Amino acid sequence: MGRYIVRRLLAVIPVLAGVILVVFILSTIVPGDPARILSGQRGDPETIERIRREMGLNLPWYVQMVRFYRDALTFDLGRSYRNNMKVTEAICQRIPVSAKLAGAALLVAVPFGMILGIISAVRQYSIWDYASMILALLGVSVPVFFFGLLTIVVFCVKLGWLPGTGYGGLRYLILPAITLGLRPAALIARITRSSMLEVIRQDYIRTARSKGVHERSVVLRHALRNAMIPVVTVIGVDVPSLLSGAMLTETIFCWPGIGRLAVEAVINRDFPIQRGVVLFMALVFLGATLIVDLSYGLFDPRVRYE
Amino acid sequence: MFRRGRVVVMVLLVAVMVLGSTLLACGEEQKPKYGGIWKDALGADPPDLDPVMATDTTSAEVGYQIFETLVGIDPDGGLVPLLAESWKGSADGKTFTFKLRKGVHFHKTTEGGKPTANGGREVTADDWVWTFNYICDPKTNSPRAYFIDMVKGYQEYRDGKAKSISGIKALDKYTLQIETTYPFAPFIAVLSYNTFVALPREDVLKWGKDWNFHVVGTGPFKFESWKHDDKLVLSRNENYWMKDKWGNRLPYLDGIEFRIITDATIEWTEYKLGNIYAAHVDDPYYPEASKGLKTVAGVKTAVNELGTYLERPQWGTYYYGMNQTLPPFKDNKYLRQAFNYAVNRQGLIDLVLNGRAMPAKGVLPPGMFAYSENLKGYSFDPKMAKELLRKAGYPKGIQVTLQYNTSQGHKRIAEALQSQFALAGIKLDLKNVDWGAHLDTCGTQGTVPFFRMGWVVDYPDPDNFLYVLLNSENAGDQGNYTRYHNPLFDDLTKQARLATDQEVRRNLYQKAEQLVVEDAPWLFIYHYTSHNMLKPFVRGYKLPSFGQYCNRFTEIWLDL
Repeated sequence: MGRYIVRRLLAVIPVLAGVILVVFILSTIVPGDPARILSGQRGDPETIERIRREMGLNLPWYVQMVRFYRDALTFDLGRSYRNNMKVTEAICQRIPVSAKLAGAALLVAVPFGMILGIISAVRQYSIWDYASMILALLGVSVPVFFFGLLTIVVFCVKLGWLPGTGYGGLRYLILPAITLGLRPAALIARITRSSMLEVIRQDYIRTARSKGVHERSVVLRHALRNAMIPVVTVIGVDVPSLLSGAMLTETIFCWPGIGRLAVEAVINRDFPIQRGVVLFMALVFLGATLIVDLSYGLFDPRVRYE
Repeated sequence: MFRRGRVVVMVLLVAVMVLGSTLLACGEEQKPKYGGIWKDALGADPPDLDPVMATDTTSAEVGYQIFETLVGIDPDGGLVPLLAESWKGSADGKTFTFKLRKGVHFHKTTEGGKPTANGGREVTADDWVWTFNYICDPKTNSPRAYFIDMVKGYQEYRDGKAKSISGIKALDKYTLQIETTYPFAPFIAVLSYNTFVALPREDVLKWGKDWNFHVVGTGPFKFESWKHDDKLVLSRNENYWMKDKWGNRLPYLDGIEFRIITDATIEWTEYKLGNIYAAHVDDPYYPEASKGLKTVAGVKTAVNELGTYLERPQWGTYYYGMNQTLPPFKDNKYLRQAFNYAVNRQGLIDLVLNGRAMPAKGVLPPGMFAYSENLKGYSFDPKMAKELLRKAGYPKGIQVTLQYNTSQGHKRIAEALQSQFALAGIKLDLKNVDWGAHLDTCGTQGTVPFFRMGWVVDYPDPDNFLYVLLNSENAGDQGNYTRYHNPLFDDLTKQARLATDQEVRRNLYQKAEQLVVEDAPWLFIYHYTSHNMLKPFVRGYKLPSFGQYCNRFTEIWLDL
């Protein structure tokens, strides 16, 4: 297992290099000059050129990329073109904020999604099954923007129970967490249902029942544990997107996370921030998939890491 | 007896009315209350609190609270003394002498009471000399340094041939002198721009590259904290120099809390919930915000259950540019004029903008110096447009693509014009790109024949419209995106820069504007209005003609 982890960690290096290569190529294709944007609608060519030179934008993209790799090795990702903040500082400021939101969204999504999925599977074709799956379908299809605003209107404007927007304590976390957790909850519900349906038809479940094991134990200990591998995969794949791709939720609820940082960086051609965020997202994704892969062994002892 | 009685009654009535109006006046002149936090929203996380680097209105809105220029702008757009008590120009129009205000101090503390590097010392003429040299230093890379490139010694300093700008001198502790290489009439107006503020060298040098996050100025409010994309907090400058008319020290507020709210719907919701005290009113909310609208002293005002809605003309113009170097507009005045005749400006404003704009006859907005009521502009005349299209060589109509920067507002306007153009035989295709790509393709590259653009003044002078946006010296990135070139227009706008007599300048600008309207490098669409919605307990608020973004909250107070 140790060798497996080392091998996976080493594989991270070419993946990150490849991701940065793509980012650099894209930044040369997309029109829009950061020095020009910094100068506003009206700028003098001398200053624009000077800014461009200082940013290294007058160099060929592959030279810029090699410089980036060189600096990244010393954990120097440069400074934002837009506000001159160190990229590492800008990202580090946002990580706890996004992690809080992603964690809360998972706390909503995992239990809610799994309970719905289990009920649907165990009571297949019942009213519970249909109701759960309609809820799951709604969860996947309702646009985040619409749902977010709806929660604000209901719980903040009409009922006055919770604050609508802003970054703060637990009360501020509830509505964005529900909004962000809705889609993964729906996905988890659907995948739990289908996985459970497959497992509960297996011989060992029939055997457990025939031995007189209590139905709750059959479902939770025998069936659910074996149905968990696809569910864990979905959760694992969703964690990075919750952490870094919650742009809409962050915008609606004025939550200062990584998603908003990324969007602003794209709009303003803030290349250093773009690269930093992409590196961060790639690392999170690679980390999450590694953890998911390692967790398979917990659910299925037959899985070996060789 | 009866007559005498009636006279007595009349006298009593008049006395009651006089007394009543006096009391009412006293009511209006309520004694301001100290305290409270002004809660407001910004539409984006400001990129630059460093005024030397700021080019956007969001950064400026915060900067106006922290920093101060030599010359200020009053709510009606007039120039007023700020950190300069007075100024005098020489007869040749090339030397300006500023008497500085005594007793102006840099912020003594910041960020939770920490002492600043300057220690709260007084601002002197040496500080201004240092500040101007710092702004113009090529290493500083200020995108707005070139606004004062007419100052004597500017270019030598930029080229590294001089250690400082020779034209900026401290004559004594409180006297600053600036010389220009030619008599530049709008110079004083340019100094009101929010880049040219007093900076404390100790703090600027202490923070270096991180100065943007630890700014220190002389303004009514001090920087406290900034959580990006969430909240920016300022606190009262307890040593601020300005006093109100009763002799009380300003500002009245304890501080300002700007929340970063990028979505207009959320901003409106937060306003209605009372979490912010002022809000931009997006079109969907205009009907409820403007209930009971009437004009009071040139400002449209509505007082209703939501608060006070204010709206006034803003010095800005919304237009579509026609690139003079590209077909189909190149060397085709008839075609450009046809486009101008094909637009029903008032209809567009009523339909799309809730009436919150004024039809543009030309370039200069109403209220600005040299604006002419008699300017001959374009009316809505599809027949004339068709006739001009025929003369332009397009008897069967023409198909063109309009490029605009992505925004729901621009889209709505473009779609409305699309249907108006169709009446004149012009088929308009729409293409939207983001702002960066729009600037690049329309400004730097100049590859877009027909594009949306708008302009709100940097400084209160027609030079900032006519010379900057249309003189051929500024073709491309410097402002003239249409690459308009008319030697007579160039000459008129250059003469107007140099003339010192305001009447002469007025005539020159009016002639130049008439010329450019006739040449029609722009499709003149409308002049902006500025507006804001305020909670009923907000007092002392004045909406500036430059727009809400340049409002200093020095005299605002909360009647809570």
